[in-house]
Amino acid sequence: MKKKVLAVLLGGCMVAGLLAGCGGGSSSTASTDSSSEGSEGGGGGYHFEVVVKSFQSTYWQAAITGVKAAADELGVTVNTTGPNNESDIADQVNMLNNAINQNPDGIALAANSQDAVLESLQSALDAGIPVVCFDTGVPDAPEGSVYATMATDNEAAGAVAAENMYEVIGDYIKNATEPVRIGEVNQDATSANISGRGMGFINKMKELIEADGKTVAVIGNQYYVDQVENNGDEGSADVIIEVAVPAQTTVELSATEASNIMNKEDTIAIFGSNQVTAEGVLTANQNLSVLAATPDEGIVGVGFDAGATIKAAVADGTLVGAVTQAPVDQGKLAIEALYDICEGNEVSDVATDAYWYDAENMEEDTIAPNLYD
Amino acid sequence: MGEVILTMKGIDKSFPGVHALDHVDLEVRKGEVHALMGENGAGKSTLMKVLTGIYKKDSGTITYEGKEVEFHNTREAQDAGVVIVHQELNMLGHLTVAQNIFIGREFKKGIRIDDKKMNEEAKKLFDRMHIDIDPKETMSRLTVGKQQMCEIAKAISHKAKVIIFDEPSAALTEAEIEELFKIIRDLREQGLGIVYISHRMDEIKVITDRVTVMRYGTYVGTLITKDSTKDDIINMMVGRVIYEDPKTQNMTPKGSPVVLKVEHLNAGKMVQDVSFELHKGEILGFSGLMGAGRTETARALFGADPMDSGDIYVNGQKVTIKSPQDAVKYGIGYLSEDRKRYGIVVQKSVAENTTMADLDAFANGPFIDKKKEKEIAEKYVESLATKTPSVDQLVVNLSGGNQQKVVIAKWLTRNCDILIFDEPTRGIDVGAKNEIYKLMNQLAAEGKAIIMISSEMTEILRMSDRIVVMCEGKKTGELDISEATQENIMNMATREIN
Amino acid sequence: MANKTVSKTAGTNNRSFIDRMGGQKFIVILIVIALFILFCAMSPQFRKYTTVVSILDYSYYIALMAIGVTFPLLTAGVDLSIGTGLICYSLIGGYLIVHHDWPTGAGILVTILIGVVFGVINGCLVALMDLPAFLATLCTCMITRGLGSIVVGGYGIPWPTATQPGGWFRNIFKIQMDGMNIPIGFLWIVLLVIIMSFVLNHTKVGRYTLAIGSNKEATRLSGVNVKFYHVFAYVICGFFTGLAAIAYSAIFPTVQPGSGAGFELDAIGGAIIGGVSMTGGVGSITGTFAGVFVICLLKTGLPFIGLTANWQQIITGLVLIASVLIDILNRKKEGK
Repeated sequence: MKKKVLAVLLGGCMVAGLLAGCGGGSSSTASTDSSSEGSEGGGGGYHFEVVVKSFQSTYWQAAITGVKAAADELGVTVNTTGPNNESDIADQVNMLNNAINQNPDGIALAANSQDAVLESLQSALDAGIPVVCFDTGVPDAPEGSVYATMATDNEAAGAVAAENMYEVIGDYIKNATEPVRIGEVNQDATSANISGRGMGFINKMKELIEADGKTVAVIGNQYYVDQVENNGDEGSADVIIEVAVPAQTTVELSATEASNIMNKEDTIAIFGSNQVTAEGVLTANQNLSVLAATPDEGIVGVGFDAGATIKAAVADGTLVGAVTQAPVDQGKLAIEALYDICEGNEVSDVATDAYWYDAENMEEDTIAPNLYD
Repeated sequence: MGEVILTMKGIDKSFPGVHALDHVDLEVRKGEVHALMGENGAGKSTLMKVLTGIYKKDSGTITYEGKEVEFHNTREAQDAGVVIVHQELNMLGHLTVAQNIFIGREFKKGIRIDDKKMNEEAKKLFDRMHIDIDPKETMSRLTVGKQQMCEIAKAISHKAKVIIFDEPSAALTEAEIEELFKIIRDLREQGLGIVYISHRMDEIKVITDRVTVMRYGTYVGTLITKDSTKDDIINMMVGRVIYEDPKTQNMTPKGSPVVLKVEHLNAGKMVQDVSFELHKGEILGFSGLMGAGRTETARALFGADPMDSGDIYVNGQKVTIKSPQDAVKYGIGYLSEDRKRYGIVVQKSVAENTTMADLDAFANGPFIDKKKEKEIAEKYVESLATKTPSVDQLVVNLSGGNQQKVVIAKWLTRNCDILIFDEPTRGIDVGAKNEIYKLMNQLAAEGKAIIMISSEMTEILRMSDRIVVMCEGKKTGELDISEATQENIMNMATREIN
Repeated sequence: MANKTVSKTAGTNNRSFIDRMGGQKFIVILIVIALFILFCAMSPQFRKYTTVVSILDYSYYIALMAIGVTFPLLTAGVDLSIGTGLICYSLIGGYLIVHHDWPTGAGILVTILIGVVFGVINGCLVALMDLPAFLATLCTCMITRGLGSIVVGGYGIPWPTATQPGGWFRNIFKIQMDGMNIPIGFLWIVLLVIIMSFVLNHTKVGRYTLAIGSNKEATRLSGVNVKFYHVFAYVICGFFTGLAAIAYSAIFPTVQPGSGAGFELDAIGGAIIGGVSMTGGVGSITGTFAGVFVICLLKTGLPFIGLTANWQQIITGLVLIASVLIDILNRKKEGK
């Protein structure tokens, strides 16, 4: 028995040692501390609960930075929670319900599922707690529960990517004699953000190409293909847009899907519509080495969101550019809106901008703060 | 006795390395109790497993109710009316008696199970058997004897025409056996054919009409019970193998040193204040009834189970044994009564099992010298006359006797001077039994000290130099072989009861 | 011993051709070859050298995890913490390199060391405290998942790229020669397979791992220190998960916290396809290695022949069922 106890202690010490040794640094504890410090609710200020899509991604950490900045500025306290993964829908609903039970002055929510949170929003309404959505809207929310939504117009963001890509490849398409191919890798076909972005890109690209008198066919994942109006015929089209969706949301499978498209002789450009799929494109390129600045030299790559890897790729020209949303702004706006509600002011929806960035404008003041690592 | 209901003719069955059944015949008539006899490993159970479809026969014919049949599983056999009452009870302890009897064919009311009807039907069965068991009782709360009755009730409820009893009396008390016999006679009156497998000669004389004897997987002959004597049957069972005479005197050399001394050993309820001495070159028999605490004593001494208190001296030195590792270090080896569970690693080869306890001797640092391992294994296969195609053969394919020899080889490899044999010949056929006995005597003559736990009185009287008798976890006596008789051992073995 | 020689020949004759070629391993290797030919025939994109390099790239971390997890599987246990563990160890090691300017070598050592530590923890829980392996490693799975994220504060960790200072470790698995990528990582994996096969078949560690899986109690009663060797099986697994973490960090640009769940299924699936029995005691490293390639080929090949996400998962599931069935049927045959 003694031995067993000893073993437990040993195991415990090791874990503790690890934490102390490696985790004792700066940023590691900061993010968890803020949640406990927030729950105190000091200084007569308001207390808000923030529920994000996932606590474990760089993107959301950037949004939380915005939330904290606003909280400091306005003298309110916030408590931030979120599930492990954007697919943990039930976990998030649970967290939202817990947040409501805390009876805060307001809740900022980035919902993983527009349907699953409806019931919780109703109880927030019943409890008289105002809710502000950010990143993602909840279109079917009970009347009066959601005061405002701070979100990127994802269709517009996709269109921004298409417009900027077309600037690079437009001439090549106009002069092409053989059919050419443009690839798009989307993380999934279920979330509104990703599919809005994906369709925004497809529709804009199709519009631009057709304006130049060429025909377009969209092929690949059925979900996306079905939403295309007046889809052309694959056999006769001048430009083929191929849409791929990996079996699971991993860089590896995104890279496999990207490799498949990038291996085709007629491919001139590829778009990864979020951080994981954009990194997939870059991972595939490690072996293929086909990404280039113009269609004459290789394949033109465009990414989405930021993170160290994508930023580096844009900076060194591997990707001609990428689109970033404004997670910091959104977090900030959400808290400001909640504050205004509590102060009795009117609030309204804000569609935050999506910015195109490339090697040249990365350092500019409007762009740089939104390029998180 | 009525007409023939079941005939098995020329049944042949081989397993890898073993010819289990060699053209065996058996005939059962309506209204008879037919004994199937033979030593352990003679092939009785295998024959019944072939009949009820658990094993597929290699050749031969089975004729049942005038038609040639082959059952593919026990379910088919049951449906046709051939049912086996197993030695190990296949009972689901948490369910009620009635639920057990009708498992797999529950009465339904809509989609609901009709427990009420099952209880009524079970009651009717018990009435027919003239026994009193509450169908609603939880199975695990019944005595072993009562559980056996339930098994029989289950068999009858299948509208059985042939019932096979596989050593039904093994775990029963005298009174329960009487009750069992009453039921069997009843069933015989009703015209069922009954196959009765048992070792107990006196039972055979009391209950059966005919006896079929098997030996080494072959058919020896069939006798009418009332026309034959006990010796006739034994002769058929044993064949030419003659038991060695019982020992009449202690063979341990005079003044032989004490190699193991155990003082006031306590371990749980089953080992209370046990003390004894073991001399070099001695075979010390441990006798007693089932559950007397002999195996528990051995396991505590070997470090397999924790001991509460007590002192152990090896060669005069006081030692602490907390695990089998410690015991092995002091040269103690343990051959378990349940070889398959505790003795061998069945899916590994003869060679790997042989070196299991002493890999260090075959290793250069962490690496195993497979050539040397093979040589040693082959040496012991030769010296113990283990029957195996090669030392690479998986142990699972060997017969019980040869598995036992592999376990012995394992401890000999380790140079153990103190060997504990727990039921050394359980599940081993007669010929091999004799070999194991010879081997044990030889080992003792070479100066090994042996503790032999055995439930067979003949084995105890034949092998031991001295005998320790246990009952209910306590040592109740110690005898020199010269003064030991069946009667005084039995006396000591039951001393604590009542 | 006349009957010894007689039956010797009989003993070898009744083994089938497949058994003599190595049993299920042989079938699996045939499957790998067949799949490769099939995908090559169906997709011109698949036939390229770069695709082969990609398949190898993505196989390293799965292969390393699979070699490791084979040991707990052989003791009739399992280690479910390897997937999230891999990410956790890589995050911590990478965090020290990226944010604390540790030399890459030190970061790599720490990564592997934490793997070993969690191997010890798993081993102690299972072998000393008798927790069911499934439960114990499920718990450490959750712990590693949370721990990694806490240390990095939710941010992804980009290990140094090949061109950055400290990026030399990426060349362990892939070097550039005349503009071509040479997947030398494959060599290391093959070398490790050979070493671990030797460990499994020719050392005490391997012998006792198999013996514990076959019959733990009989092994204990033979005087073997089963606790030590049982723990050791998990330590080997932890060590290889640490190596897998390095391979993963070297191949992929960023390590994301919160990911990793599900990796273990690829590794365990590969081992089982390769003939490792879930009930312990039976299996080989070479089989596991071949099994991993079935998984990797399916993962890479199915998208290339135009199958969409859902079909890929269905087919992978069917292949797993088929290989487990082969194992069960084989065992039944032996049992009779």
